Amino acid sequence: MRAFLGPLDEAGRIPAYQQTLVSSFLASAHGAYARQLAFALSGRLHYAWQVELHSQFCREMEILSLLARATSWVPVPTLAVSLWHWESAWLPNPVEAVGDRGLGTLIDLAAFGHAVHSVLRPAALLPEGFDQADPFALAMRRIEFESGRLMQAQILFLKGPELAHVRASVAAAVERRHAQVRQQWNDLLRGMDIETSGKHTLAPAPAYRGNPPPAPASVASDAGAAVRSP
Amino acid sequence: MPWLEHNRRRIHYELAGPADGPACVLVNGLTQYVRLWQPFRDALVARGFHVVSFDMLGQGQSDKPSLFIEQDDQVAVLGALIKKLGKRPIFVAGISFGGVIALRHAIEHGESISGLIPMSSFAEIPAQLFLLGSALRTGLILGGTTFLQDLLFPMNFSSEWLESKRDLIGLATHRGWLVNDVYALQNLMESFLDFPPLTEQLPSIQVPTMILNGEYDFLTPRPLQETLRTKIPDSALVIVPRAYHAFTLEKPDLTAYMVSRFAEDVMARRWRGKRTIWVGPETVGGEFVPFPAEFDHMRSIPVRKQAPEAAPREEVAAS
Repeated sequence: MRAFLGPLDEAGRIPAYQQTLVSSFLASAHGAYARQLAFALSGRLHYAWQVELHSQFCREMEILSLLARATSWVPVPTLAVSLWHWESAWLPNPVEAVGDRGLGTLIDLAAFGHAVHSVLRPAALLPEGFDQADPFALAMRRIEFESGRLMQAQILFLKGPELAHVRASVAAAVERRHAQVRQQWNDLLRGMDIETSGKHTLAPAPAYRGNPPPAPASVASDAGAAVRSP
Repeated sequence: MPWLEHNRRRIHYELAGPADGPACVLVNGLTQYVRLWQPFRDALVARGFHVVSFDMLGQGQSDKPSLFIEQDDQVAVLGALIKKLGKRPIFVAGISFGGVIALRHAIEHGESISGLIPMSSFAEIPAQLFLLGSALRTGLILGGTTFLQDLLFPMNFSSEWLESKRDLIGLATHRGWLVNDVYALQNLMESFLDFPPLTEQLPSIQVPTMILNGEYDFLTPRPLQETLRTKIPDSALVIVPRAYHAFTLEKPDLTAYMVSRFAEDVMARRWRGKRTIWVGPETVGGEFVPFPAEFDHMRSIPVRKQAPEAAPREEVAAS
C-alpha cells in the first residue's frame, strides 16, 4: 500500500483516475452538506446564525465549483454504485435523544458538517514531488485549508451554551458522523491502495517546499494577518 | 506499536530502554507527538532509564475525540501507564501542557511516583498566558496547524538553534501538519484554556520535585515557575541557562543529565528541595549552582533583593 496518491505522471500530476474518485467523493460529501444547508435556510434571513449558514452555503458551492473545474475527469464504471453508498450515508439522521426533532436535525447537520470539514484531509494525500501549480493539487489544499475555518461555525454551535444540557448526545452524534465519514473515506482510499492507518504520517516526510502560495485577499483580511494554506 | 485502552479510546505509547531501569514517563506539550521526544528519550535511555512516552488524546497516533477532550481523561491515561510500570522508581516529566497533567497526577496520586519534573509548566493561567493561548488558538483556526507551528518555532527555540536546524524545521513542520488535526488541537487547547487553577492544591504534592525553567522562556516565564516553587514543599527551581521553552528538543543531552542527577539524588535519598533556587549547568557534567542569595531571581537584570525571602536557602539539593 502507498502512503499518498500517485504515482505521479511526468508532469507531477495525480493520475486522472484518482482525481476523479477523490473529487467525486468530496463533491458528494460537500454537496450533501450544501443541500442540507439550503433546506435549513429560509428565503429571507431572520436570525444571526442564519447569516453564518448562508456564508457556509456559499463556501460549499465554491468548493463544488472548484472540484468540477480543477479535476481531470475520466469515466469510472463503478462510480455510480459508490455514489449511491455515499449519498445514502449522508442522509439526515436527526438526533432523537434531544427530544426536539427540529433541534435534533440541526445538531445532526452541524455534526455532519464538522465531520466533513475535519475528517477529510485531501491535501495530506499529496505525494512528494507533486506539481504545486497543478489546479487539482491546489484545489485539494484550498479545500482542506478552508475546511479548518468552516468548521468553526459547527464548533461554536455544538459546543455552545444552548446545547450544554444535551452535551453527551451532541458529542455522541458528532462521534457517529465522524466514524461514518471516516469509514467511507477510508474505504475509498483503500480501494486506491492507500494506507489509512495513519502510519504514513510517521514515514519520511516529503521535502519541504517553502511557503505555499498566499491565501486570497479575503482570507488574509479575515485573519488580520497573512495566513497560508498548509 | 503498543496501545493502551481508555474509555473505548486507544492511546499510542512507546517504551524504550532497559526494562528493569528506573522509569521516566514523558508527557507531551501541545503540538508534540511521541517522535519529538526521540533525542531526549535516547539521552535518557543512555543513562539507564526505562522511558515511556505517549500521545495524549487528541495528539499524534492516539484517538482524537471529535468535540470534547477532558483533562481528567489525560490524567487517567497517565495514571494507567504508570500503573503498568509496576514497583520501581518512577519519575514523571511533563513539558508545558504536559506539565499540568503531570502536576495533576502528583496531586491526585503522588504516592505512585518517586519524583516529578515539571518543565516549562504552569499551575494556573494568568492574563498574559491566557491571551497568548487565545491568540495561538485563533492562529490555529485562521491559519491552520502550519501557521500555529510557524508561530511556535520562534517562541520555543533560540535563533542559533533555528539557524542550525533550518532544513529540519521544514520537515518537522510538514510532519507536524500531517500528524496533527486542527479540530483535535483546538479541542486540546480549549481543554486547557478552561482549566481550574491548581495553585491551591500544589502544597499537597509531597514528592521530590525539580522545576525546570528556561532562562529565556517567555511562553511560561519565571512567575509561573515561582508559583510552583513556593507552593510545592519539596521542590527546587532550576533555571536552565540560555534555554527557551522547548529545551528538551534544543538541549536534550543537558536536560537528560539534569533529570538523571535529580533521579540519582532522589533514589539515594539525598534530595532536599526546600524550595531552593539553582542555576543549572551550561554543559553535561557541569554543576548546579545556587542562585546568588543577594539577588532577585525574578528579575532579568541583577537587582538586589529588597526584602528577605520567606523560605530559607538550604545546601545542595541537586548535589
